[in-house]
Amino acid sequence: MASPILQVKHLKTHFPTHVGTVRAVDDVSFDLYPGETLGIVGESGSGKSITALSLLRLVPDPGRVVGGEILFKNEDLLKMSDEDVREVRGRDIAMIFQDPQSSLNPVLKVGFQIDEAMVAHGKPRSEAKKRTVDLLKRVRIPAAESRVNDFPHQLSGGMRQRAMIAMGLANAPQILIADEPTTALDVTVQAQILELLGDLNRELGTAIIMITHNMGVVAGLCSRVIVMYAGRIVEQGPVDTIFENPQHPYTWSLLRSVPRVDALRHDRLRSIEGIAPDLLRPPKGCRFHPRCPFRVEKCYTDEPELTMVAPDDLAACWVTMDRARKEMNADELVDIRPGAGSGYHKGDLA
Amino acid sequence: MATVVASRAVEIEMPEQASLWSDAWRRLRRNRLALVSTIYLVLLVAVALIALVWTPYRMSAIGIAPTYQGITSAHWLGVDSLGRDILSRLMVGTQVSLVVGLGTQVFVLLVGVPIGLAAGYYRGWFDNVVSLVINIFYGIPDVLVAMIMVFLLGPSLTNIIIAIVVTRWMDMARLVRGQALSLREREFIEAGRAAGAKPFKMLFGHILPNALGPIIVQATLGVPGAILFEAFLSFLGVGVQPPTPSWGSMAADGVRAIEFAPHIVIAPSIALSLTLIAFNFLGDGLRDALDPRSRR
Repeated sequence: MASPILQVKHLKTHFPTHVGTVRAVDDVSFDLYPGETLGIVGESGSGKSITALSLLRLVPDPGRVVGGEILFKNEDLLKMSDEDVREVRGRDIAMIFQDPQSSLNPVLKVGFQIDEAMVAHGKPRSEAKKRTVDLLKRVRIPAAESRVNDFPHQLSGGMRQRAMIAMGLANAPQILIADEPTTALDVTVQAQILELLGDLNRELGTAIIMITHNMGVVAGLCSRVIVMYAGRIVEQGPVDTIFENPQHPYTWSLLRSVPRVDALRHDRLRSIEGIAPDLLRPPKGCRFHPRCPFRVEKCYTDEPELTMVAPDDLAACWVTMDRARKEMNADELVDIRPGAGSGYHKGDLA
Repeated sequence: MATVVASRAVEIEMPEQASLWSDAWRRLRRNRLALVSTIYLVLLVAVALIALVWTPYRMSAIGIAPTYQGITSAHWLGVDSLGRDILSRLMVGTQVSLVVGLGTQVFVLLVGVPIGLAAGYYRGWFDNVVSLVINIFYGIPDVLVAMIMVFLLGPSLTNIIIAIVVTRWMDMARLVRGQALSLREREFIEAGRAAGAKPFKMLFGHILPNALGPIIVQATLGVPGAILFEAFLSFLGVGVQPPTPSWGSMAADGVRAIEFAPHIVIAPSIALSLTLIAFNFLGDGLRDALDPRSRR
C-alpha cells in the first residue's frame, strides 16, 4: 500500500474551562491514504468534529491542540507557521461544513465566493471565474453559467451544499474533510450528495474524511471507518469487516440501533442506554463501561488500548464481541442495558 | 384560474430576483419622509455647489443695504448687522455644514470601522485595549475637548473636523465591534478560514459586507450630530472664523438683534433644523430599508 498522505499521531485537543479541562480529543491516532474514503463516526460530543477542526488548526476558543503530531506529507501541521497553515487550508486540505445555509456568506454571490477560494491561493481572478463555472457543472448544478451570479439565499439547500463542495474542490485538494455534510439536508438530497462525493472521489482521487453520526452514510461512501467514543478511537478498520463483525460493544450497539425497515413490527427500536460521558470527568477504566452490557471487572479500572482483535480490525476493548458472543449470548440479547448480557457478577470474567 | 396561478408565481418570484440593495432602495422609496428628506438633501447639495460659483451677492460685501433691513425684493432673506446679504451667506454656510457633516463621517468611518472590525474579530488583548480607550473617550466632556483642540490647533475647517472626529468616533467603533463580535461566530467565517482566506480578506471581504447596513445607518445619523456640533462651536465663536459664514455664527450674530431684527437668527436656524431633521429621517428610513428582518 502507498504511504499515508496524512498521519495523525497521539492528537490531543483540550478545552480548558473554569471548572476543569475538557479532553475533547484524547490521544487519537490514525492514517489516511491517498484517494481513500475514511469515515469517522460517533455520537454528539465524541470528539469527531473537533478532530476534524484540529487537522486544520481551526479549533474554536478556548480549545487548544495540546499534544501529538499531524503529519501531512511528512510535515507536521502543528509546527507550521500560521501563514503556512493558511496556505494548506483550502489548497491541500479543504473542508465542507454541516449547514450549507450558514456556511456561505449571505451577502456575496456564490460564484464570487468560489472564485475567492482560488484567488486566496494565488490564481488570477479571470482564470478562477472560468474554473468556477466548470466546478459548478462538475457538482451538477444546472445552468451553472447563470447560477454564479446568484446569492446563497436563491439556491436550495442541496444546491448550496453542492456549491460548498465545488468551493472545497476549487484548488484540487488532496484531502476533503466533510463535517456532517448531509445532516441538514432531506433524505433524497442526502443520497445525491453522497453519490456526488463518491463520484468525485473516484474521478479526482481526492481523499475524503467523512465525519458523521450516521452509520448509513459510512456504509454508502466509506471504505474504512473509525468509531470514536468520548474523545477516543474505540474501533477502526475496513467498513465491510466492521459492519459484518464489529468487535467493540459500542460499535455493535451503534449498528444494532440503526432502525431497520425489515424489523418485526413489534420489535422495539434499540437504543444505547445512558448518556455520553462527561468529558470533564471521563469514567475510569474503559470510558464505555458504564453503558456496556458486557463489562467485566477489568473495565472498571484499566483503560484498554487499541489492539488488533481480528484481522484488519483494531478495537479498544477487554472483552470484544467475539468473546461476548461466545460467553454472554450477545446476539440473543434484546435488552442491552448495562449488565444485561453478563448479568454482571464481580470477578466473574476477570 | 390559470391566470391567477401565473400572476401568483410572478409575485413570488419578484423578491427572489431583487438584490439586497435594490430591495433596500425599493423599501426606502416607499417611506415618504425618507424620500422627501432625500430630495431636500439633494437640493441642499445643489445649493452648496451653486454657491461655489454664484451667490446673489458677494457673501462678505458689507453695507450693500441698510443694516438690519428685513425681507425685501432685492434681499429675499434680509441683511444682517453689517448689511450683508443673508441668503448669500446662508448658501455659503451650506457648504461649511455639509463639508463638516460629511467630512467628519468619512474620518469616523476610516477610524472606527477598521478598529471595530479588528477588535471584534480578534478579541483578546486588542479588544480589551480598544474597549478601554472607547470608554475613556466617552468619559471626557466632548465640548471642552473640541474647544481646547480648536484653540490649540487653530480654528480652520480641517481642525474643526478633526476635533469632532476625536470626540465622535467611538459610536462607530463600538457598533462595528459589536457586529464583528456576532458575525465571527457565524459558520461562513469558519468556512472562509478553512478555505485559507487571509486575515485582511476575512475582515474586509467577509465581515464588513455583512455589517454594511448598520454602518450606513450609523454614518447617516452621525452627520446631523457633527453639523450641530460645528454650529454650536461657531455659535460660541470657536468655530469657522469670519468672514466665512457658518449657520452657527450667523445665528450667534442674529441673537444679539433678536428683539428688533429676528429674521437674522431665524434664517440659519430654520436651515439648520430642516437639515438635521432630513438627515435623521433619512437615517431612520435607511435603518428600516436595510434591516433584513423588516421584509415588506
